[in-house]
Amino acid sequence: MALMNIFEGLASLFFVLLFAPLFAGLVNKQKAMMTGRVGAPVWQPYYDLFKLFRKETIRAKSASFISGLSPAINFAAVIIAASMLPVCNAHPLISFKGDIILFAYILGTARFFQILAAMDIGSSFEGMGASREASFAIFVEPIFFFTLGSIAFITGFTSISDIYRSIAMDRMSYTVFIVVCSISFFILAVTECSRMPVDDPNTHLELTMIHEVMILDNSGQDLFFYQYSGNIKLLIYIVLETAFYYPLGAGLTAVGVTIFALNILFVSFVLAGVETVTSRFKLKDMPHYLLFAAAIGILNLLIFTFNK
Amino acid sequence: MENVLSILFCLSLLYLALTSRVKHCVNVLQAQGIILAVINTLPLFHHFTLGEIILPAALLGIKGVLIPFYIRKIITDLDIKDPIEPTIQQFTFIMLVITLMSAVFVASGILAKSTEINIIPFASGFSAIITGILVIIFRKKLLVHVMGFLAMENGIFLFGSAIAFKLPVIIELGMLLDIFVVVFLMGIALNKISTTLSGFEAAQLRRLKD
Amino acid sequence: MAIIFSLTGLILASGAACWFVKDLKAQYFISLFAAGAHLLFSFALFTGICAPQLAFLSLDPLSRLFLIVVSNVYFWVVLVSYQYLKQSTAKGSGKKYYFIFLNVYLLANSAAILSNNFAMYWVVSEMTTLSVAPLIYYLRDEESLEAMWKYLFLVSVGIAAVFIGIIFLALSATGTVVEGKQLFFTDFIRHAALLNPVWLKASFIFIFVGMSTKIGIAPMHSADVDATSTSPGPIAALMSGSLRVTALVGLMRILQIVRGTSVYEFARFIMIIGGLLSIFTAFVFIFRVRNYKRLFAYSSVEHLGLIVLGVATGGLAFIGAMYHIVYNSINKVVIFFCAGSINQKYGTVDSEKVSSLLENMPWTGWIFMFSFLAISAVPPFGIFFSELKVFEGMLFSNRPWVLFAVLFFMLFIFINMGRVVLQMLYKKDENSKVVKERERVNITHAVSLILLVMLIALALFTPNVLKSTIIDIAKDFGAAS
Repeated sequence: MALMNIFEGLASLFFVLLFAPLFAGLVNKQKAMMTGRVGAPVWQPYYDLFKLFRKETIRAKSASFISGLSPAINFAAVIIAASMLPVCNAHPLISFKGDIILFAYILGTARFFQILAAMDIGSSFEGMGASREASFAIFVEPIFFFTLGSIAFITGFTSISDIYRSIAMDRMSYTVFIVVCSISFFILAVTECSRMPVDDPNTHLELTMIHEVMILDNSGQDLFFYQYSGNIKLLIYIVLETAFYYPLGAGLTAVGVTIFALNILFVSFVLAGVETVTSRFKLKDMPHYLLFAAAIGILNLLIFTFNK
Repeated sequence: MENVLSILFCLSLLYLALTSRVKHCVNVLQAQGIILAVINTLPLFHHFTLGEIILPAALLGIKGVLIPFYIRKIITDLDIKDPIEPTIQQFTFIMLVITLMSAVFVASGILAKSTEINIIPFASGFSAIITGILVIIFRKKLLVHVMGFLAMENGIFLFGSAIAFKLPVIIELGMLLDIFVVVFLMGIALNKISTTLSGFEAAQLRRLKD
Repeated sequence: MAIIFSLTGLILASGAACWFVKDLKAQYFISLFAAGAHLLFSFALFTGICAPQLAFLSLDPLSRLFLIVVSNVYFWVVLVSYQYLKQSTAKGSGKKYYFIFLNVYLLANSAAILSNNFAMYWVVSEMTTLSVAPLIYYLRDEESLEAMWKYLFLVSVGIAAVFIGIIFLALSATGTVVEGKQLFFTDFIRHAALLNPVWLKASFIFIFVGMSTKIGIAPMHSADVDATSTSPGPIAALMSGSLRVTALVGLMRILQIVRGTSVYEFARFIMIIGGLLSIFTAFVFIFRVRNYKRLFAYSSVEHLGLIVLGVATGGLAFIGAMYHIVYNSINKVVIFFCAGSINQKYGTVDSEKVSSLLENMPWTGWIFMFSFLAISAVPPFGIFFSELKVFEGMLFSNRPWVLFAVLFFMLFIFINMGRVVLQMLYKKDENSKVVKERERVNITHAVSLILLVMLIALALFTPNVLKSTIIDIAKDFGAAS
């Protein structure tokens, strides 16, 4: 049985690593179609990554060893986080009591090193991006802990897979609770992955960029690692988002996997839709938006605590 | 079901505190009015009487249709522009709303131990009252003050529905009518203020003092 | 029963008639007729000639006394209104709607005073605000617009707070006989001891704070002062003399419920703080106020504060406070009539710009002087006797220090008010541009004189029915045995 669990875990990890660029491509394709363009094929991120991997890595003269270390750490951290995911309700590779904390801070480490690397080169633009990324991170963390944490608080589980397993939509108020959680988690995902209302992944104006500006000076394999881990991170959050709806029938059967796939497709559709209809917020309004998500989480926790 | 609707009501309050668009505020109020009407319809599913459908119908008519329509008309007539400016930092404002809301929930949780109350509608209603007051205190536009007042009234209605006492329909209708007339008079006053004082911000009302 | 319905119908009809009849004089006579009928009815009710029985109406001594106070003020205000409107140079549609809203105001006020149900009281008391708001905006200028907005807004929010208090009151009844019943005062008063004290306390706080926007108790007095000082003379008289009294009913009702419970001491303490704060506010602001209408608006804050103090102290002070309500409302009417006339003549509300009042307007001037003396509690005017009772009650209560604070503040209020008023009366100003012409006696002077005489007569030859009613109220509140 333990062997089976390890196998499931490896399969999930493999799934995330394999399909992460595809998901990004899927979102971009739908977005293009919604705005009336043909758009790049869904495989485009694979081509991009392959192209970057072959290219020569050039580092700035002022760069220290951190710039070299950061992409690898980023990639490793993201892979560790991915191996904790309950993909399609399977047993994750890494799962122990309290791994929700590890999950949050392993991604935090990745961000930390990216910020360090961005400042390491000494370019003012990248420093600006780093400061923005750091300040948003302050608002993002409460959202994570108030949504997942509130479920953990209620059920008493502290491992991500156990938390998601404990979700059951048997009561009306609990269902509402989960739906509200998923909304605030969606906002979290959008922020963490630098998607539309918060950050425009396609922008090329340094002054308005947040995430993209930090990797301006990277090239070749460094950029490959950054991009690839960015794609993986997006899929990680999307899987966590869909995981709220596992009680709808996702599981390791043929039907379950189909439902899971449909779930993911639906979220990609929503993400593309949101990116199409919204415009980027002003930087100064961003904390309000994030605080709103945190407020939903807090409210949710309060309501559920008193409704038990 | 009442709880679910109350949660929705709470979310709408958060949005009211957050948004900087005047039109969105009206939409929130409209949604709140409809939620209130639905909440008041719920008991009718168990026990239907023709007399009791008057109140939800009036709620829907006045809070869900008439008042939003009237406020939208004021917005168009006076050409009130976005954004809604707060007098303090928007961030502080939202933090204040969240903190007070949490306090309300915790307090009503404690109170529910001694008295039989339906916590979620009770706390949501009270949160609406507090949010309304905060909106009135910390916003510059007078029209937004009116909306804060309306949110407060909505909260009171929700609050009242959490408590087991029945008022005669005629009195409830009287309340609704009162609220509508208040908004109507405030609308007229706003109209006059915008022509005679050329502006709709609280800062323009500085003539009367000692 | 029939008489109440026919009276309601009469007032409604008179309001409707004012809507259709465009002639101001016809409107005046119709409204005057309604006011007279109402005064007669209140008088009959007060003296016990007619005693209708209705479940949703409360006809206890408190309602009867307050109704006659309000009705009396209203009648005289309507009586002088035509003369005021004729002389007024206000632009816009102020005159057109004046009598319509007055009729609505009368109906709402009587309903509020006679209501036996908290929710009904809430509805009609909001209606009084709504009917008086357009009247505040009579002059159609920026100041009155601002005052109307502030009054409408603050009082509406205050009334909303009152509703929260009412809901809490309903909550306090969970698990008792009263639970689920409609919110009748009488039920609550009868079963007061059963109510949950925590909720009752919360309910009292909300109702007190909410009502104090309407009563004009500090720190919620600002909108009330603004409104009283910018509205035309008769309306200011109406607000000072009757609207505040109506608002006081709500406070008295909740106090009547609280009286039989453990919350009573707390409620008294809160009311004493409110009352003292009001007098203190009047004391502070009266040093710097130059607008004479504002000055008297602050005087209203002071006197309502004194009434609240008296009610909270209980015993003799309570009886004094009841007399004070009667006298103060009559006195304020005279003062605001004079202020309105002065404002019409001089065209300013700045007391520095008003001079030689006794020469320019001898009738108004002398009446003004006497009404000032009356409000400053100079014998033989009524206020002197009522204040004496309040002070005596305070002195022998368990908080005699309140009396010393009150006396200290009131001394300075008297000095400052006296300074302003005497300056207006006697100061000679050579470059004054006021047209010197003989002042003709008009109906306002006649009414003011009648009211001043009434103020003396009521105090010196207090009718037995007034005495016994006030004793009955005091019995209801446990202030007399």
